[in-house]
Amino acid sequence: MSKPKVASDWLAGCAGCHMSLLDIDERILQVLELADLRATPITDLKHPDEDGVDVGILEGGINNTANEAVAKQMRSRCKYLVALGDCAVFGGVPAMRNFFTIEETLRRAYVETESTDDSGKIPDDPELCKPTNVRAVSEVVKVDLHVPGCPPDADVIFHVLAELAQGRIPEIKDEKLHWH
Amino acid sequence: MIHIKIDGKELEVPEGTTVLNAARQAGVDIPTLCDHPALEPYGGCRLCLVEVEGARTLQPACTMPAGNNMVVHTATEKVKSARKFVLSMIFSERNHFCMYCQVSGGDCELQNAAYGEDMTHWPIQPNWQPYEVDASHPYFVMDHNRCILCRRCVRACAELSGNFTLGMEERGAKTILVADLGIPLGDSSCISCGSCIQVCPTGALIDRWSAYLGKDKDTQSTQTVCIGCSVGCGIEVLSRNNNLVRVEGNWDAEVNGGVLCEVGRFLPMVEERDRVVTPMVRKDGKLKAATWEEALNTIAEKYQPLIGHANNGVAAMVSTRLPAEVLYTFKQVFADNFGSNMVTSTDEEKFATLNSVKSEVGVYEGKLTDLEEADAVMTVGIDLTKDHQVAGFFIKRAIPNGTKVIPVNYEANGMDAFTPYATKINKNADLAFVKTLSANLNNEEAAELQNKAGLETAEIDKISSILKSAEKSVLVYGADFTQPEETFRALVKLAKETNSKLVGITGKANSTAAAQYHLDKPFVMNGHQSAMIVLGDEEPTQTMIKKVENSPFLVVLSSYHSALTAKADVVLPVTTWLEQDGHYVNLDGKIQEAHKSLQSPIDVKSNLDVLELLAAKLNLELSAESLVAAEKAV
Repeated sequence: MSKPKVASDWLAGCAGCHMSLLDIDERILQVLELADLRATPITDLKHPDEDGVDVGILEGGINNTANEAVAKQMRSRCKYLVALGDCAVFGGVPAMRNFFTIEETLRRAYVETESTDDSGKIPDDPELCKPTNVRAVSEVVKVDLHVPGCPPDADVIFHVLAELAQGRIPEIKDEKLHWH
Repeated sequence: MIHIKIDGKELEVPEGTTVLNAARQAGVDIPTLCDHPALEPYGGCRLCLVEVEGARTLQPACTMPAGNNMVVHTATEKVKSARKFVLSMIFSERNHFCMYCQVSGGDCELQNAAYGEDMTHWPIQPNWQPYEVDASHPYFVMDHNRCILCRRCVRACAELSGNFTLGMEERGAKTILVADLGIPLGDSSCISCGSCIQVCPTGALIDRWSAYLGKDKDTQSTQTVCIGCSVGCGIEVLSRNNNLVRVEGNWDAEVNGGVLCEVGRFLPMVEERDRVVTPMVRKDGKLKAATWEEALNTIAEKYQPLIGHANNGVAAMVSTRLPAEVLYTFKQVFADNFGSNMVTSTDEEKFATLNSVKSEVGVYEGKLTDLEEADAVMTVGIDLTKDHQVAGFFIKRAIPNGTKVIPVNYEANGMDAFTPYATKINKNADLAFVKTLSANLNNEEAAELQNKAGLETAEIDKISSILKSAEKSVLVYGADFTQPEETFRALVKLAKETNSKLVGITGKANSTAAAQYHLDKPFVMNGHQSAMIVLGDEEPTQTMIKKVENSPFLVVLSSYHSALTAKADVVLPVTTWLEQDGHYVNLDGKIQEAHKSLQSPIDVKSNLDVLELLAAKLNLELSAESLVAAEKAV
């Protein structure tokens, strides 16, 4: 049996969940023995294989049209989608901006910031993606497994990867569920 | 008895037991949120839904009375999915993102409920509606974003403190917790008892000292007794790394059942006085830091020749905030060994006359518990919303059950707003009032007294008819009488005439013990050559300072710097109430043990240790079993 293919990507997050993935330390070798790590932000491939992967992992929420596209591509190319970390699960820290309008947040970021001078301007190049409300991955595409935590503990990530690589659905409960 | 079967476990429970309590007895765990053991069942959150055989829908276990031969299932798929649904709805309502709030103590009951159901996420996102945060209160913050509308706080405010400040406004998704009629909490009728923050299951009502500053599981908890007044409430002191984190009411405490007032819960948190951290001795007119040896030697040198002087020796005063062991040892040193005729407590004679005639009360002597069962309560010479507030809560919370409360005062009483029977008399007319009431009950003529009391006949008639028709009436008195002895005797007479219980709500934490040791005379220097003030953590009054400031040699045992320590010749640093063990006798005569919950600074000794060191320095005889004796004596 060939090793299951795993791809990951990050959206509106801080890369912390992928850092936590690296925190599994030497156990990453065990993961590599069990799984074929394909496109990830920390490998050279930038898109999940066109002929599909077994497991797709998304870190971060969805806060613009570009994120939407990445999420939809991952969903269409993976059999089993994991939302990794609080941003992917419900929006996380970026979702705090949902308490304001998009105009307010853009103005704050590009015009009103203390470090911005009079020439501050909200970018409006048509090539740019459009910002949206910050959404959980599950609000845009179907998610099969939610792994909460900010970031999820390395042990939890290893548990998830190891279980998935061996063809089992990981159970996240008790200590693995508790926010640390 | 009712026979009920819960998850296959059969048991008998008394009629009226709820399904939830029956399940608890059977050892079956049903998750709850709006339910609280100290509050009436409410049935608001629906997390405790269970399946009852024969019932059309799921039933809330907290409000459902157990029925005979009822068969209940608490762990079916239907129940579990209902629980998840209920939690999903709560999470989707406001800002319940654990990552935004997690550090509020790690004891969030909403979070724990979600853990209990293995929820990794919620299926319905909230609508990102920000709610106001009311930070107008000096001690706590009301964050509507975290509120789940369980109304525990509203019920605690009403059922535990009888204050009815908190309530709900609007309906449905617009429902919002309000103080009074929607004014900032800090401007409201809130009396800062903090019961609401103790029962809040989430981070919606949080105190300013412990919230967001670490998890509760990293704190140390000590069960001890509040010494704010003579009620003697049971408290739980939470500390982390020897820092006071929070004071909570002890739900299991017999006296208060978990309720506290501002004095017990918050005043310890806002303590700002400077600690005395080293002994100090006056040299060349200035107080200078000294070693314990030096300081004790300075005292011993002065005191050795004064032993045995009844009139011109040491005049000594001890704080009634100190444990019985300290009071007893203090008495042994200065009354028994020094033979001084001026050995008293900081209460001085305030309660002495009342105590001297207390034996006359006999069967009419009541206890705090009588307040809860009373159908009529009259208070004379005391405002229980200002001090001994927890006793006031017992009275206030009985009002909705029909208890008629008659606060009698010459000035505004905080209780007035809660009762239609508030009675205003002339200043210093307590005695006249009590006698007028007695006369009225006996159909005697007392126009002159009534005039002195400043009351209309109709008012007196109303009060006497309430007391006459009451089955369990209680007369509560304070200590603010101009003629304490006569007033007290008149009250005893009134109690006999109306078959009422008489409850005295007076004094500091250990006033009762001090009275039993006869440490209750007015303090005068009167030729004594030294004043010894064992102050502990009590704040000295101006009167006290005036009395001792000209004493030739002033020794003060104090936890804090004050105007008194500034005038002292020797200051010895002693422990605060949180740093020492000992026994307290509350106003009911109940003996309670206080436990040390914080470690004292390195050069600070306990009040008891200092007295014993001093006794050893002076080669005084202290009975070896003084502590045992102290306990026996109280």
